[in-house]
Amino acid sequence: MEGFEFIIDREVAMVSQTIRSMLTSPGGFSESKDGVVTFPDISTTILEKICQYFYWSLQYSRGKETEFHIEPELTLELMMAANYLHT
Amino acid sequence: MTMDQGSDLIDAAVTKLKRILEGKPEPASESHEYVRNYTAVYNMCTQKPPDDLSQQLYDKYGGIFEDYDKHTVLPSIMEKHDEYMLRELSRMWDIHKDMVRWLSRFFFYLDRYFITRRSLPSLTEVGMTCFRDHVYNNVHFNVKQVIIALIHKEREGQQIDSALLKNILDLFVQNGMGSMERYEDDFEMFFLQETAFYYSRRSSSWILEDSCPEYMIKSEEALKKEKERVNHYLHSTTEPKLVEIVQTHLLVLVAKPLLEKESSGISALLRDDKMDDLSRMYRLYHAIPKGLEPVAEAFRLHVTSEGNALIKQAEDAATSGSVEEQVLVRKIIDLHDKYMAYVTDCFQNHTLFHKALKEAFEIFCNKKVTGSSSAELLATLSLLD
Repeated sequence: MEGFEFIIDREVAMVSQTIRSMLTSPGGFSESKDGVVTFPDISTTILEKICQYFYWSLQYSRGKETEFHIEPELTLELMMAANYLHT
Repeated sequence: MTMDQGSDLIDAAVTKLKRILEGKPEPASESHEYVRNYTAVYNMCTQKPPDDLSQQLYDKYGGIFEDYDKHTVLPSIMEKHDEYMLRELSRMWDIHKDMVRWLSRFFFYLDRYFITRRSLPSLTEVGMTCFRDHVYNNVHFNVKQVIIALIHKEREGQQIDSALLKNILDLFVQNGMGSMERYEDDFEMFFLQETAFYYSRRSSSWILEDSCPEYMIKSEEALKKEKERVNHYLHSTTEPKLVEIVQTHLLVLVAKPLLEKESSGISALLRDDKMDDLSRMYRLYHAIPKGLEPVAEAFRLHVTSEGNALIKQAEDAATSGSVEEQVLVRKIIDLHDKYMAYVTDCFQNHTLFHKALKEAFEIFCNKKVTGSSSAELLATLSLLD
């Protein structure tokens, strides 16, 4: 837990299947009620990169075909986070 | 994370889930519970072997359902009877389906890798199979009896809960896991048998009590009601089988006594211009393969006997001294017009009836009156005109 918050659009967050499930699950989970999801195991740097990825992914699917640059030292952690988030 | 730690966490989540689904009061979820549960499963699956707990988690998932089905679901259904049993089954089925959906989300990581790699049944399949094996297989026989009893009640005019029946029959279909076998073998077969008995009994009593038109009206009504039954709760694949059984018992097996009914059978209807009743007869028998043959046959016999009666009249008149060829020919033409009208209006110009009419006329037109057959008389007359 590093205490950083990222605020992004709901639609953007739903690129992650995991987050999509969390936000749409019935049952009164705080995640879907408050729209706040906490990832204690993901570092701030990685989470930031992931948010960037979400936005880029949506733009790409709308036709703006640019490249998404990933710093080499982030790759491993990024892959693991992507796996966790089912993105 | 060890299996024990994970297990405790999961058990707590499952208990909470059960209470929510069963409608019991439950404090609101703690913050970030979803993440915790999902993360726990994820961690347990991604730990390096020998700590990779995927297999244990998969087994645990199956175990959760097996336990729930055996110890909670099945007993609660078995302790009830009749309609209450159906309601409980329906309720538990809905709860079960929800539980599968929710737990699958927590255990989702298993679906993605462990299950795919080993080609194991998916989480949903595991949940559904559990229900089928531990609940459905044990209750379907009694449930079927209750359903058939309710349908019988409805046939006798009482109101029943169609929505409940629809739910339960859906359950039968879904427990077939992709095939209609369970629905067909565990329900439909018995339903069709019962339907056959029912209409066989009905037909026996109606044929004695009712006139031909009344019987046909009742048959038409019965067919309509059975088709409505399909719309309300039976599976659509049952319709053709059901219609065939009702038609067989109400119309095919009794065709002869029905058509030949004294004073109200087809002869009487033809004689008395009962267009509506004759049209109904056509409608009912047209829907049955080869159903019209006995009707056309009865029609032919009737026309033949009317024609023969005219010939006899003419013969009698001839022996008493007056030869009335023209009168006979006029009467034959009138007869033809009258019955042709039936063919076009009531029998929809069907070839079977045209043929029957033609054959009937052939028979009596070739009979001789005072030395010439009616055919010859007709020919001479038309030459004279």
